[in-house]
Amino acid sequence: MNKVAIVGTGQTKFSKNEGNVEKLLFESSNNCIQSVNDCNLNNIDGVLVSTNNNSKYLGAILSESMGIQPKISHSIEHLCSSGTNAVISAYAYISSGLSDIVLVSGAESATNPGQVLEWDKSRGEFEHPIYWGSMLTKSHKRKFQTTEEELAIVSAKNHKQAMDNPFAYSNEPRTILEVMNSKQITDDLRILDCSRSCSGGASILLASEEKARTLSDQPIWITGIGQKTTSASFTKNILEDIKSTRLAADSAYKMSKIESKNIDVAEVHDAFSVCELMAISELGITSNDKSGEFVRELFNTENRMINPRGGLIGAGHPLGATGISQTIEITNQLQGKSDRRQISNAETGLVHNMSAAGTSSSIMVLEN
Amino acid sequence: MTFFEEQLRQGVFQICYCGKCNNVIWPPKEICHICHSRTDWKKSRNFGKILEFSKKESTYFGLIEIDEGIRVLGDISSISIPEIGQSVRMSVSFNSKPHYSFIVENN
Repeated sequence: MNKVAIVGTGQTKFSKNEGNVEKLLFESSNNCIQSVNDCNLNNIDGVLVSTNNNSKYLGAILSESMGIQPKISHSIEHLCSSGTNAVISAYAYISSGLSDIVLVSGAESATNPGQVLEWDKSRGEFEHPIYWGSMLTKSHKRKFQTTEEELAIVSAKNHKQAMDNPFAYSNEPRTILEVMNSKQITDDLRILDCSRSCSGGASILLASEEKARTLSDQPIWITGIGQKTTSASFTKNILEDIKSTRLAADSAYKMSKIESKNIDVAEVHDAFSVCELMAISELGITSNDKSGEFVRELFNTENRMINPRGGLIGAGHPLGATGISQTIEITNQLQGKSDRRQISNAETGLVHNMSAAGTSSSIMVLEN
Repeated sequence: MTFFEEQLRQGVFQICYCGKCNNVIWPPKEICHICHSRTDWKKSRNFGKILEFSKKESTYFGLIEIDEGIRVLGDISSISIPEIGQSVRMSVSFNSKPHYSFIVENN
């Protein structure tokens, strides 16, 4: 298999405004191409689009807008983890030799209704993600004695870190007390425990080893990939763990020949506060019963190792763009280009993106 | 509207199961994905247990496992705070989407 590198990145500002998905795809793609020195568009032979939007033929539309006539062009949808699944599809095209240079672009409009999985009849009238979020949170509190303050720290930390992310939809600091006193959604969720839908776009350019050497002085290599889908129905999983994440992490670590202790920086899928605690445990960074303490320590020491761009809670969650934006953050961290968010001497990073209450997870290990 | 949804509208939760390998098939479908035989229906006994719960405004809701092994989210009626493992009785309806309601037994 050919090695695959990330050689360019571009984003739009995430916002609560209504966004046009074609425009967002174009804007972030344009920013991405501009980040690459002397990028000849004629050499891009793949264009993949990640979105949950109902607009059709977006791969071809983006290609035409950009002036690209690729061999391969199509959309990828996998709810909240569409973005990483598009990046991994590009990896597969390049590593297999079917393609040399692939543009991956993700976008979502804040008004997109696609957050609810109507197919899942086991949710009854409780279709919205806040209901599974409440179940996971209550279960975590019950099983691991997780406190409301520990959950609030996740949100306070991620809001604080998002203040230094120019693309985040929220640049407001939130104290632990503000989170704990924010609007109550259910007995187990406050509004500031929830990531919010927003508009936004994110794009990356991937290339084979040979092409990457000509396109970038600092290619970032995708060295590990793990994916696992356990079900589509929320109710077919137990509440205490995210099995898909654990299994995907095992695969990604095995492929990259690293262990969790080697991770310098990670973007994890904090759809709700509890998801960050569960994710860092399933990734082997800490354990479930110590995850609250782990995050408290990060917050108190201003260690940005987890979700330096602010995660989904701080940066916003434009579904199709989220996984790509996470990948961009880890890429920039490993290139030493994260300004005030920079983790010193970061060499190995991880991206964790998941869908529908953790029924599916996608993980990538990146190295410089 | 599917047979399952029509039956919900009439207040009946139909369990889809395979007549050959006897597995419960959820969500319902015409063919068993394990042995590929045609599936059949039987009425649920309408009893279950609370696996987890929370509350939105004044309504308790939670994850319930009904006796036939299917798990659903529904609202819970109880005069006191529900408990994990508590037995509940199910009633169902359908109005554009399924509605599963549970009453704590011996309430």
